[in-house]
Amino acid sequence: MANQVQKLSYVDAKLGVGLPGQQTTRVIYDSVNATAGQQFYEFFTNFAGKTEFQTNLTTNKLDSAESMVIKSIQIIMNSATSNLADHLNLNIQVGNQTVIKDFDPSFNATSRGLAFDRLHSGVGVNAPTNLELRLLTDIVIPPQVNFKATLQVSNALVAVNDDITIVLKGYGRIFSAGNSF
Amino acid sequence: MGMSAQDKMITVANRLGLTSLKDMQGTTRMVYDSQTTAALTHTFFKGAAQRAFPLTNIGANGNQFQVDEALLVEKIGFFIPSAADGIAYGGLNGFSVKFDVFIGNKCVLKDATCEFAGEQAFYNDGNVGSSVIDLEGVGILIPPQVEYYVVAKPFDGVGRVASSQRLGCYLFGTGALLNFNTTI
Repeated sequence: MANQVQKLSYVDAKLGVGLPGQQTTRVIYDSVNATAGQQFYEFFTNFAGKTEFQTNLTTNKLDSAESMVIKSIQIIMNSATSNLADHLNLNIQVGNQTVIKDFDPSFNATSRGLAFDRLHSGVGVNAPTNLELRLLTDIVIPPQVNFKATLQVSNALVAVNDDITIVLKGYGRIFSAGNSF
Repeated sequence: MGMSAQDKMITVANRLGLTSLKDMQGTTRMVYDSQTTAALTHTFFKGAAQRAFPLTNIGANGNQFQVDEALLVEKIGFFIPSAADGIAYGGLNGFSVKFDVFIGNKCVLKDATCEFAGEQAFYNDGNVGSSVIDLEGVGILIPPQVEYYVVAKPFDGVGRVASSQRLGCYLFGTGALLNFNTTI
């Protein structure tokens, strides 16, 4: 089975992205400031007015010489009234293609003995507001291809101004000129 | 060295004549279904198209995957919904589950039990006992367009007697999603 490095090279080569670039671990994130009772969220589609701590992107695609693998998905809910332990529905699209479909990551929240990972440590047992999901299949975000994530939460307990953040993490490549300009 | 999940999916699919599955989008997938009326026996996924999120995530397509979509089941978990709305849930909390898994006309997992705290050797979730069972080998493939369902009976893990409970079940593993490799 190909590892993250091999898969990224394979997919990039198939797409005609031949530049080697600087190898790295890439972390991208986006936050949505909720309205009270909001149950549906869309990430990586609107960056207007967000601070550098709410998102580290300015557009919903990677640069022309940049690509990454989605290996880990983290969801963070900064809320005193809501949580990530109740059923969730996560979808991720890269290009026009759904790459994560109707996935419920809430089983990885808290310590309930229901986690997908065999070595697991739930965070926030009383207020489960942070979960991470390690994917079994590496998913590539190629350069210059739009991507987005949507999250539906089953409880309507989110308060106004609560922040919900999705972090995508994995092996990546960033631009390296390899020459002087 | 053993076969990887991806290798098993492609091998089984090829044997079934599903030669295009190898070209589909790889993913990590899980399906779940829950029933919030306490009962001694639950049948999950069959008829789940009639239920809506958050009781299930299988959608209108029901208990079969659409064309060129599949799931290699690597882990099965059971949970207990907290209330009739199915929003919140917890682990088995001392109960265990005896269950069968059916794919098409075939019983692929027979008279198995998911014992509460039964995976403690390699399963670490704080101080909480596990409510899941890892499938040995590489897992079991649910091919596209074949109905699947799980019949489960909760029982008291200490007294080993049947117990009427609300119950839910998830199937987790490596999946494939439909990907058209041409324009239409």
